[in-house]
Amino acid sequence: MRIERPRRKLEAVGLTPLIDMIFLLLLFFLLGSDFVRFTQSQLAPPRGTGGEQGVSQPAIIALAATGALQWNGASISRVDMQSRATDLLQADAEQLFVVMPAAAAEVQQVVGVMDDLAAAGAQAVTLERDVFDIDLSDF
Amino acid sequence: MKINRPQRKYKSIDLLPLINVVFLLILFVLIAGRPTTDHPQQIEVAISRQDTAYQAAPLSVRLGADDKFYLKSDDPQSLGAIAELIAAQGVAEQGLPVELIADRRAHASALMDFRRAMAEAGIGEIRIKTEYAPEQKNGD
Repeated sequence: MRIERPRRKLEAVGLTPLIDMIFLLLLFFLLGSDFVRFTQSQLAPPRGTGGEQGVSQPAIIALAATGALQWNGASISRVDMQSRATDLLQADAEQLFVVMPAAAAEVQQVVGVMDDLAAAGAQAVTLERDVFDIDLSDF
Repeated sequence: MKINRPQRKYKSIDLLPLINVVFLLILFVLIAGRPTTDHPQQIEVAISRQDTAYQAAPLSVRLGADDKFYLKSDDPQSLGAIAELIAAQGVAEQGLPVELIADRRAHASALMDFRRAMAEAGIGEIRIKTEYAPEQKNGD
């Protein structure tokens, strides 16, 4: 005897809730994410307060609030500063660079100078308020 | 008179390609994006061309555009209080660095005060948090 079973109806699965959820997820991640890449600039310890003793005299770079630079008292452009720093670093890889920004200079300008020195290969860059803060007995 | 119009056939749109593309978009955002980092006090960190890996330090100090220092709270902190916290947490004894999240508009005088205070507290290395932008010309 043949038993006839009632045929199941195949109902289509509704995709709309799934799509809603996916779009909500996409919105959440788009709004909750950013694509900013953070880095960091390292500030070496000042000599005389825990820093290692250097071999060479420090190169002193003064930064005015206008962005103008002086290398050991003489005006210099950023490009020249970078090439001079490269020359110094070829003689002494641990050459210390002391950046003396004017009080009114902005952090962005200081980071810019540190970037230039880092691009030249400088590993020890520190900040001093003025030349009298540098403990020259350590050099 | 009744006009017999041909009945339109409603074809269902295949949604699978759409779902595939949206899933790919989610994957892209998940992999390429990072959780939003909104620094308190609306700090905008300096732009840098140095492509160094960012490593968070155990202690972060924020320097706002108002030249005031902040820790976790929104109350400005004196450098003496920050130095006390460093001593209490033993950051200097362990030779750990301190991170400075400085606003790019803050003044160098505050930066130098911080550097000097950290040196006196025995901190050897200060990491200034920056935002990487390879084509930015700082101050030029």
